[in-house]
Amino acid sequence: MDMAYAGTKAGVARRKRVTAGRHMAPYLFISPWILGFLFFTLGPLMFSLTMSFYDWPVVGERTFVGLDNYRSMFTEDPQFWESLWITVKFAAIYVPFNIVMSFLLALMLHHVTFASGFFRTAFYLPSVISGVALVTIWSWIYSKEYGLLNFMLSLVGIDGPNWLGDPNLAIVAIIIASLWGLGGTMLILLTGLKAIPKELYEAATVSGVPGWAQMLFITLPMLGPMLIFTFITSIISAFQQLTIALLLTKGGPLGSTYFFAMYIYDNAFKYFDMGYAAAGSWVMFVIVLALSLLVMRWSAAWVYYEGEIRQTDGERNA
Amino acid sequence: MHNVTKSMIGSLLALSLTGAAAAQAEETLRFATWDTDESLAIQQAIAKKFEEMHPGVKVQVEPYADGYDQKLAAAFGAGNPPDVMYMWNFPQYYTSLMPLDDLIARDAAEIKPDDFPQGLMNTTRVEGKTYGMPSGFTTQVVFYNKEMFAKAGVEEPKDGWTWDDLRAKAAKFRDEANKVYGFAVDAKPDPYDFEQFLWSNGTKYISDDGKEIDGYMNSDAAAQVLDMFADMARTQEAVTLNLGDDTSGATLFKGGKIAMFQSAMWSKAGIDAAGFSYGVAPLPKFGARVAHSALGVSAISIAKDAAHPDLAWEFVKFFSSPEAVAMRTNDLPVRTSVAEEKGMTKDPIYKPFFDILATSNTETHAYLKNANWGKIQDNLARAIEATMIDQGNAKAHLDDAVARSKRLLK
Repeated sequence: MDMAYAGTKAGVARRKRVTAGRHMAPYLFISPWILGFLFFTLGPLMFSLTMSFYDWPVVGERTFVGLDNYRSMFTEDPQFWESLWITVKFAAIYVPFNIVMSFLLALMLHHVTFASGFFRTAFYLPSVISGVALVTIWSWIYSKEYGLLNFMLSLVGIDGPNWLGDPNLAIVAIIIASLWGLGGTMLILLTGLKAIPKELYEAATVSGVPGWAQMLFITLPMLGPMLIFTFITSIISAFQQLTIALLLTKGGPLGSTYFFAMYIYDNAFKYFDMGYAAAGSWVMFVIVLALSLLVMRWSAAWVYYEGEIRQTDGERNA
Repeated sequence: MHNVTKSMIGSLLALSLTGAAAAQAEETLRFATWDTDESLAIQQAIAKKFEEMHPGVKVQVEPYADGYDQKLAAAFGAGNPPDVMYMWNFPQYYTSLMPLDDLIARDAAEIKPDDFPQGLMNTTRVEGKTYGMPSGFTTQVVFYNKEMFAKAGVEEPKDGWTWDDLRAKAAKFRDEANKVYGFAVDAKPDPYDFEQFLWSNGTKYISDDGKEIDGYMNSDAAAQVLDMFADMARTQEAVTLNLGDDTSGATLFKGGKIAMFQSAMWSKAGIDAAGFSYGVAPLPKFGARVAHSALGVSAISIAKDAAHPDLAWEFVKFFSSPEAVAMRTNDLPVRTSVAEEKGMTKDPIYKPFFDILATSNTETHAYLKNANWGKIQDNLARAIEATMIDQGNAKAHLDDAVARSKRLLK
């Protein structure tokens, strides 16, 4: 009796150990990223939060100022609101265009049967070009006197505008240049399209469901998780827009493309006002976080995850 | 494989041994510069000379190039600044730099401080203390294409000419079909240089105590200057630069597309290479007022926490010596004696640079008066650009810049 009891106990312990080991393995596998995140992201993140409560020049004395950076930003600095507004405007146009155009391109590629490898490469290629090279190309395209775009327009008899010199047009020029890189989003959506089981469409076709309804009731819902992912990443990248504006227009003309990220960048690396810049970064973080949460909450109503059902099934079985 | 590893370890060992030996034999002085190309080569030559004069000393020239301000700020922030460095932004850094007044006074016999024009020394001083020795400078002038003047039958500029004279001459070159103009105005000038026009018209950006811009930056005299440039653009007496097109004035001048070009020493080498005959005129005056020029000064400073402060001072002294100043042919000599010896104060090309230096010692650049000037200046730059786009309304745009800068003056 005793022996048997002890045996069982040992067995339980061994089993526990095995389970513990099995639980540990995945964490070990992801530990490089976790550690990297702790040291290189979370550390600096918390450090910047501290900084945002200081008057923090690069050289010289730093003084604790409490919430003064935030107060000054919200109440005294017109540039803060202007940059925020420019960024919101940009995001409001860029994000829908990015997703809709990527989706249409992905659909085309999904259905194209002729030289599909070539087209896939051709559409993805532009997003491989790095930021600086991309901007150099666009500055040639947009140049008023010698630009490719205005040359093309002149062929059809249109006197092209001064794309980068007109305060109303410069932001349009930047949106177009930013959409150049939609190949990445397209690729994600294309993968999603490929993953939708053909049987669903076959069943629908057999039942006489028209094409538009298949799109509405099969393709879009099945693509839901991918769409929501690209939606959130697009919002984040829209708010972080810096490279193109910094190099193509330097925030001008007349500050019309002075994005929020550039405002933060200038405060940090041009005016060396690190505390003020850190406060700006935190405002941006809170806005992006709030938007992402909003999108997630809203999407719960219409995004369908296959995994959710499986989990419920599993629980029922247990 | 094994052998490769072995030889690698061997060479690493050898490297570290030589490293240790070198560290014992030599003191390494770190010298950071923003220069590149030929200017950098000149500095390396000066450093080499210094090494020859001080056996056992190695000068490590660190060219930070375009990222100079960022890299220097990072080095100071990390508590690892170079011993000696190029410097212009004294208000930003002076608390971390070594004041030089006592050293200059101690070694006055050797340095001869009076050999440095007062205007140049003013640019390295913050709150009454000197934090750097000027090592090169430029003033602003007007280059003109003699061949274009001869062909158009326009009389060449003379000493004491005014902006009205310039405008009258410029109008004669206007040729819209071939895109040839008399002059170029910049929609995005460097506000640092631009203040020279306000000085020349009897005003300035900011009060001398650095506390007030209302009534200075947006004064009628300032608006008058801006409106004049906008008007030159409107009447096409001048082509407008930096309005959505970054073709530089230097490119246009070298290409024979503009007859006159306001610039500084940094454009001279390129214009020489363009191969046409050109002249240099002083900056025009506003009516009867004296013309002032902005002073572009590169100075060298010593970090307060320099690893080798004594050696650093020796290097700064050598860098400012007549011998080293004479070697710096890429900008203008900061010592009057060197300039005179080289005959530059009489040479028709160089004379205008030195003449205006003498009348440009009464005003102080705005960034030396207020620590927040960098931010205020960006509001001002936008007002200038807005005026050039509007081709007028300077007063309204300047008022706006003053209003936006209010919070920065506290």
